[in-house]
Amino acid sequence: MAGVLALLACAAPGAQAAESPAQVQARGLAAFVHRCGMCHREGGTGTYILARRLGAEQSLLEKRTDLQPLYVRTVVRWGLQNMPRLSRVEVPDADLDAIISYLLAPKPAAKP
Amino acid sequence: MKLILPPGVSQARFDQAMAAFARVIGQEWVLATDEDRETYLDMYSPGRDESHAAAGALAPANVAQIQAVLKIANEFHIPLWPISRGKNFGYGGAAPRMSGTVMLDLGRLNQILEVNEKQGYCILEPGVGFFDLWDHLKQNKIPLQMGIPGNGWGSVVGNALERGFSPAGDHSSNICGMEILLPTGELVRTGMGAMADGKAWPLFKHGFGPSWDQMVVQGNYAIVTKLCLWMKQEDEAAITLDIKLDKPEELKWYTEAMTPLRLRGVLDGLVRITSYQATATVPTLRSEWYQGKDSIPDSVIPLMMKRFNVGWWNGALRLSGYSDVCEVQLKRVQAQIARYTKQEFAVIRGPGNASPGPSTYPLQMTNWYGGRGGHIGYSPVMPADGKLVQEQFERTRRRYQEFGLDYSGTFYNDGRSVTNVNLILYGKDDAEQKDRVRKLFQALIKDAREQGYGEYRTHLSYMDDVAATYDFNHHALLRLNEKVKDAVDPNGILAPGRNGIWPKAYRDQRGKL
Ligand SMILES: Cc1cc2nc3c(=O)[nH]c(=O)nc-3n(C[C@H](O)[C@H](O)[C@H](O)COP(=O)(O)OP(=O)(O)OC[C@H]3O[C@@H](n4cnc5c(N)ncnc54)[C@H](O)[C@@H]3O)c2cc1C
Ligand code: HEC
Repeated sequence: MAGVLALLACAAPGAQAAESPAQVQARGLAAFVHRCGMCHREGGTGTYILARRLGAEQSLLEKRTDLQPLYVRTVVRWGLQNMPRLSRVEVPDADLDAIISYLLAPKPAAKP
Repeated sequence: MKLILPPGVSQARFDQAMAAFARVIGQEWVLATDEDRETYLDMYSPGRDESHAAAGALAPANVAQIQAVLKIANEFHIPLWPISRGKNFGYGGAAPRMSGTVMLDLGRLNQILEVNEKQGYCILEPGVGFFDLWDHLKQNKIPLQMGIPGNGWGSVVGNALERGFSPAGDHSSNICGMEILLPTGELVRTGMGAMADGKAWPLFKHGFGPSWDQMVVQGNYAIVTKLCLWMKQEDEAAITLDIKLDKPEELKWYTEAMTPLRLRGVLDGLVRITSYQATATVPTLRSEWYQGKDSIPDSVIPLMMKRFNVGWWNGALRLSGYSDVCEVQLKRVQAQIARYTKQEFAVIRGPGNASPGPSTYPLQMTNWYGGRGGHIGYSPVMPADGKLVQEQFERTRRRYQEFGLDYSGTFYNDGRSVTNVNLILYGKDDAEQKDRVRKLFQALIKDAREQGYGEYRTHLSYMDDVAATYDFNHHALLRLNEKVKDAVDPNGILAPGRNGIWPKAYRDQRGKL
């Protein structure tokens, strides 16, 4: 049971007004890994199907620079072709906002 | 998705009920916008969205909140359908049998309460996913193994409650004790957990008197709030025989050969063999192979076999446990195979813990026709007999060809019975093709019934049809199930229609889609 208490302790703080953009993005990264990563990182079905449709360079969401907030939100809630719809239990609105901030944050310049 | 009200409930009563739910679980966890309803539709459905449309969803945080929800649901006659993660793709996803039902999404109850290495079990809440349990085992270096379905995105509890399975076996057979809420709100623990502080709750299945765990599995008598599940100790070694059979008729000997090995315990889990197409549906699109509207012709099969270096039938035959014991078992398996064929199969030796873990990669198969896709599975159970299995395969494949769909079949042999999962893939936006899918499904139900075979699990739209095939003594079992239903759930609020079991209040909905 000790594990459960530890989990509860670190899950406590939610979205707070005082959060810096970097903190929001860090929360977004964690939520992305937990709720999107199994499909949108290497080896996930989202990555494969996007590679089919848009080409390998556009297949990893975390490397994209062209995503729009409303587009991401709409795809998540209404699904897109083979992307299942995600409910507000799976991804609460506050988490989705943070995920979008994370995905839209300026990308570090690619290594030459 | 526009709101469809539960049968017999007015808009005003519905609104009152939703307001009452919000008071006990918080407004933010009452999900009832058109967009929310959209997220609970069955994205793979071969029929109309309106047939299985939820009126909304409720996401309580704990047992006390679920009890409060049940009280209101009974008062206002609001039907509820519990889901753990709701990823039951191929069988209905996160959708209910009857439109207007409100989903009870248990995703927020997501704690791994205990994992016991020594005795090999875990105690989980419903929202724990296969990925969550896997991460927990790896992060804490716990040497236990889990059975993982092809779609790893779901819930360990929800999958077991559907009698989901993997090559590790039937996951529901590992259930050992539950905490359940009856539709009337009473909290019960089954098996040894029925003793306050019962020490053997996750260890001994039956307790004293009738055993309730399997009454809850595939039933609609209770909501599971905690589940104890046995897990296997991590194996020391694994030996895999790479089985590739080049001719369709070889299914017969393979079934005959494996059956005694499985019965004697030389092999454990389920012996799986899958037709060639499964290797193509995930990594490629159908259009790369064939453009026609009919079934993929036989001339394409050798091309697929060559490209993926597979047989007509393929299966990884796995021996695992202590390394020396595995070597002895391997000799037995090879000797048994040699009685039927001269072919030799590659032997791959590896560590016992080489499982790659859960994955979402197989979900890609629904892209087979390009665009939006779906699948349903038709899965009858028959005796583990080579001749009967071969005949079932041939009969089923002829039906696929008759309706112009691509055959994809897997046979899981447990030594006594064989479960035959037939995958039917289609494009979601091809109405004419979906019509053929529904006709094929009805034909398969009929064929299997004629042979005396029944399905082990089915999609929401076919629950009544499949329940009707269990027809001994004019459906005596269904009458018994419904008698129990009316006793434990007098208002019929819990999952009406699940597995064909309808409560008094909604019996007139049977067969309606
Ligand atoms: C490509 C692909 C491969 C698949 N491979 C497999 C496979 O190998 N093996 C397999 O078994 N399945 C497989 N499936 C089917 C399905 O995706 C999995 O079984 C999945 O685990 C089920 O979803 P879930 O775990 O989220 O359960 P849920 O959807 O949460 O639950 C299923 C049902 O169980 C009942 N239920 C759930 N929770 C509760 C509760 N707490 N109390 C009471 N009743 C409850 C409800 O009726 C619910 O609708 C596959 C699907 C796809 C698309
Ligand atoms: C179960 C797998 C799965 C999960 C989980 C998932 N996705 Fe997807 N996603 C897909 C697939 C598959 C596609 C490709 C759809 C297509 O083109 O057919 C996709 C496509 C997308 C696209 C469209 C990209 C484009 O350029 O068109 C966005 C945006 C997206 N996903 C965001 C997310 C976010 C954000 C999450 C987590 C909150 C998420 N997805 C979780 C499977 C998934």
